[in-house]
Amino acid sequence: MTLRAFDVSRPVLALVVALLAVMIVLPMGWLLIYAFASKDGQPTLDNFVTLFTDPSFVDPLLATLLLSVSVSGLCCLIAAPMGWLVARTDMPLARTVRTLVMASLVTPPFVGAVAWEMLAAPNSGLLNQLWRLVTGAPADEALFDIYTMEGLIFAIACYTFPYVFILVANALDRMPGELEDASSMLGAGLWATARRITIPLALPTLLAGALVAFLQALNQFGSPAILAIPAGFHTLTTKIWSLFQFPPKPELAAATSLPLLLLTVALLRTQASILGRRGYAVLGAKYGAPRLIRLGAWRWPAVALAMVVLAMPLFLPYAALINTAFSRVSSQILSPETFTLHNVVFTFWQLSSTMPALKNTFLLATATATLGGVLALLIAYIVARQAMVGHRLLAFLATSPLAIPGIVLGVGLFLAYTRPPLTLYGTLWILLIAFITVEMPAAYQQLGSAFHSVHPELEEAGRMLGASRLRTLMDITAPLLRSAAIATWCFVFVGVIRELSAAVILFTSETKVLSVLIFDLKESGDVGAIAVLSLTMVVLTTVVIIIANRIGGPREARVPTRVGA
Amino acid sequence: MQRRSLLTASLLLPLGARVVSAAPAAEPVTTALVEAAKKEGKVTYYTAMDLSVAEPMAKAFEARYPGIKVAVERSGAERVFNRIGQEMASKIHRVDVVNSSDAAHFISWKREGWLAPYLSDEMARDLPAEMVDPDGLFCNQRTHLSTIAYNTKLIAPADAPKGFADLLDPKYAGKMVKGHPGYSGTIMTATQQISRELGWPYFEKLAKQKVLQVQSATEPPKRLEAGERAVAVDGSDYLFWLAKERGAPVELVFAVEGTPQISNPMGIFKSSPNPSAARLMVSWIMSGEGQSFIVNLSGQYPANKQVKVKPGRPALAQIKTFKEDPVAVEKQADQIKAQYAKYFKV
Amino acid sequence: MASVELKGLGKRYGDAVAVDNVSLLIGHGQLVCLLGPSGCGKTTTLRLIAGFIEPSAGEIAVGSKVLSTPQRTVPPEGRNMSMIFQSYALWPHMTVAENVAYGLRIRKMDKATIESKLQAILSTTHLEALAERYPGELSGGQQQRVSLARALVVEPETLLLDEPLSNLDANLREEMRFEIRRLHDRYRYTTVYVTHDQSEAMTTADQIAVMNLGRIEQLGTPKEIYDQPRSVFVARFIGGSNILTGKAVDAGHVSVTGATLATTGRALTTGETVSVSIRQHEIAIATAKPAADNLLHAVVSRQVFLGAARDYTAVLDDKTEVRVTAPPIQDIAPGQEVWLRLPAERCRALTGGIEG
Repeated sequence: MTLRAFDVSRPVLALVVALLAVMIVLPMGWLLIYAFASKDGQPTLDNFVTLFTDPSFVDPLLATLLLSVSVSGLCCLIAAPMGWLVARTDMPLARTVRTLVMASLVTPPFVGAVAWEMLAAPNSGLLNQLWRLVTGAPADEALFDIYTMEGLIFAIACYTFPYVFILVANALDRMPGELEDASSMLGAGLWATARRITIPLALPTLLAGALVAFLQALNQFGSPAILAIPAGFHTLTTKIWSLFQFPPKPELAAATSLPLLLLTVALLRTQASILGRRGYAVLGAKYGAPRLIRLGAWRWPAVALAMVVLAMPLFLPYAALINTAFSRVSSQILSPETFTLHNVVFTFWQLSSTMPALKNTFLLATATATLGGVLALLIAYIVARQAMVGHRLLAFLATSPLAIPGIVLGVGLFLAYTRPPLTLYGTLWILLIAFITVEMPAAYQQLGSAFHSVHPELEEAGRMLGASRLRTLMDITAPLLRSAAIATWCFVFVGVIRELSAAVILFTSETKVLSVLIFDLKESGDVGAIAVLSLTMVVLTTVVIIIANRIGGPREARVPTRVGA
Repeated sequence: MQRRSLLTASLLLPLGARVVSAAPAAEPVTTALVEAAKKEGKVTYYTAMDLSVAEPMAKAFEARYPGIKVAVERSGAERVFNRIGQEMASKIHRVDVVNSSDAAHFISWKREGWLAPYLSDEMARDLPAEMVDPDGLFCNQRTHLSTIAYNTKLIAPADAPKGFADLLDPKYAGKMVKGHPGYSGTIMTATQQISRELGWPYFEKLAKQKVLQVQSATEPPKRLEAGERAVAVDGSDYLFWLAKERGAPVELVFAVEGTPQISNPMGIFKSSPNPSAARLMVSWIMSGEGQSFIVNLSGQYPANKQVKVKPGRPALAQIKTFKEDPVAVEKQADQIKAQYAKYFKV
Repeated sequence: MASVELKGLGKRYGDAVAVDNVSLLIGHGQLVCLLGPSGCGKTTTLRLIAGFIEPSAGEIAVGSKVLSTPQRTVPPEGRNMSMIFQSYALWPHMTVAENVAYGLRIRKMDKATIESKLQAILSTTHLEALAERYPGELSGGQQQRVSLARALVVEPETLLLDEPLSNLDANLREEMRFEIRRLHDRYRYTTVYVTHDQSEAMTTADQIAVMNLGRIEQLGTPKEIYDQPRSVFVARFIGGSNILTGKAVDAGHVSVTGATLATTGRALTTGETVSVSIRQHEIAIATAKPAADNLLHAVVSRQVFLGAARDYTAVLDDKTEVRVTAPPIQDIAPGQEVWLRLPAERCRALTGGIEG
């Protein structure tokens, strides 16, 4: 008989809380202190006075609001019909369209922005060149100008609408066909049904999606840095970042971070309250499979429309990247005569940052996905099984980074860890902390919902039969969570590779990651190397995802989805 | 013609200026140094030089001294300055050799006491006195210019600007690209010179010309070559030359008012983790061999008097250049950035 | 095998009391049902016995070993107990054989032993043919049997069952009741069985502990619980009883709507308010006043023909409704005056207020 010799729950809880404090509480605390301090450390409100009166701060604030509202609206306009086509109609290739939209999320938005420069810079942009070629327009006329607010809105929307699309499509998937059938039975036509039933039912989800898009645009750093600065304006994120350039003004950066932080928190609360309302509950209920609407003659035009939409985040940018990767000048069209391996050779044989950056990136992505995954798993377990006092606090801490924009987190971590007792700046640890923090909410939520699908009695049954808590976790919980854990791992992995906004504040020369290297190359205009690196990054990421799914794949087939009651 | 500028700058330092200079004794490049450098095995080179020159130069050094890996850490000079400041403040010692296109940075680093003196015997012999800091803490690695340039496909030579004043012509509105003094040392140095010669109102007017604002002085040449803009307000001259020599439709303009001149000093950090490799690298870059490599590859102006200017490039003496004044740049840098941001909004 | 003893067991969550001073001795090889409505503390008691939660007061002992006290609790895996869960808790990623053999593998038995024990239990539970199936491929009843097999194969000292039949449909439930009893008679593990279904408890248990508000209201054999409920709560929960309220006139008589009833059960204090229970079928109904004691006057308000019996609702003079089960042959129309005879030995004076 083994007595409970040592209660591990207290130290574990203490450890997890300490970790989360190191990750979140300390940086945010310093952020607050700095925001309310003058350069020599005296308490003051001057930073906020500057923030709300100096036009060089007010303008970015207004630009950011305009940008976010527009991106949000544009995303809904694209995502809602796309989601409807994919989920509710008999459009051919619906599965492919879905997969491709998901795949477009692997592209870091800042890479997309660079690619769109290649496509839609007013003079050298490939699309503009094509337009002039076709219409014979004069050399200084352009169809598109990516270096404008409109261009920036478009470029960000390209990589934000997938989030809205996924939300809408999933909601429409779950929407009971009976509800629409009932309307049709009462004599309503296709359009009337859509207008009176489908759209109102999907509206809460769309609204939630609009908020997600708003937040993405609000907190995006890479795309504005690449497109807004050449156009001669700042957004809040680029402004915060510019305050870190010499002479650094961390107090002002901290003060500028606060509105971003507060706005994000407020929007998240709004979103939670929208999703918590009746609309979503109806969508979540189990009914029959949805009835697909027949498009008839419109089937292929619908596919064409979907492909045109997919061209924006996917086909066109990758075509431009490939074109640039193998050309001497990005404005040239690739042909046998212009084909060159110059950029490939330069990137892999001359550029001395390539290998360290690749190594750092994949090391950090793997470490973040693994350690962050384990931490999220631990927290999800404690919370789902209410395994110890304080689990509510843990759940709150684990989700709170959602409200912290990457650049704000970067500023906070910088302020917190460039000083004793934990001088982590300059090490990979600070980046690891940043990445784990950024990815924690998503990882925790995914694993948390996975835990909810594993009935606690499954674990208790193991313990009754003599297996320890740990053994039970290994023999029973772990195999059941396998697919969710692998999905989370991949999700975090991709997330780290895409992360720029925190990294750009926290990196040092020795801890440069791929996203920062690409950003550095962008600033010196070396687009050839960017194209090669971006394509390499996407290929490697895809390979890692495939391998991860291979490892976890085969067993899944035989695990039934539901058992017992 | 302003080669004396660097020396002047050093002599005008507020402290130590009139103290008898403590130039270090020139050291030969001994086998012991090479062995020690190889033992260290690597050297980190912070620079603002375009990667197309910096990386091949690093590879040439690696080929000359096998076993020593060079990590090139390139960014805009102002970024490099900021990064080094942050790293030093956090006691992160990584930089071995630093090279900046903003000579004012060396005034600051010298004052902080961060630089280590070094002079190889070849440097002592072949570098003109005005190219070397009296205390031997840094020397000018090379000199380049920030020139106007235009794309000959987009603008006929007759329509091309002759100088800075021409750029205010409405016909160039929306057709120009320029670098940023908050990022690039070349542009910072050039901005100080232009604002001194032409006054800030010039920039105020230029800002209304819908200029495409890029960061690095190395980017306008690339944008010009790609045909994205017809005129580059500024940019590293050697990159315009290289594009032109490659057959790209690029033509340089030496402004009638004068062309900003930029020296690129180089020094070794006291905190260098690889001091021997750092010394070896500096000695090689400043040697006839290293200087020839830079000149042959890029056509920048060498500091070593044994090395001639690249054939086909005009001699510095033939060009009307502005006087370089690092001391003023050091004093005015923050104000220049603020003023610039006020006009150009970023 | 050994007895299980709960001594003054208590569990509180903050201010809420889940289990309140429960003492219970479950003899070796006995099957005890914890019976009660949801929230009565029966499941908490079971989980305390299993070791999933720690008591706030009291102790749990198996044989001479103390397993739980507020200071220290042997974890579930150290108790040599088995448990059948409401959801069966079969592991969906393991086959039937893997599920059943898991406890044996944890006990590090050798392969041959595991195999023979596995075959034996699969045969006892009629699962041989399903050994390689996954739980998702089984019916509810089959899953239940796997769950039983998995619990029994490790030969536990104590077997715990938590509402094991609540997820089965009615027919299967009846069948499995007998199956559980059959297996119990065969292996005679000390068993604690939690249910809210009184007929399930009646058919399976040696002893029933009716629980309410965290306390044991009454402990007894199924027959005792049925025939001699001691409290209003038990009488109501077991069902089929009428509860009449009146005032004690002496130690053995209660005045109900003017009539006096002789009662059994406990000695009364004159003047106290007393609840008296009597089962529906123990009441005789007559249109003419019989020559007997313990009579109540009433009016029939409703009559339902059930085939084997007639179910009457009669209203007493104080408007209390009384249900009576009478032979089918006795046909009395609603509205008619009747006399109800309540045999004195069936009128049980209860403890507890009328609110129960």
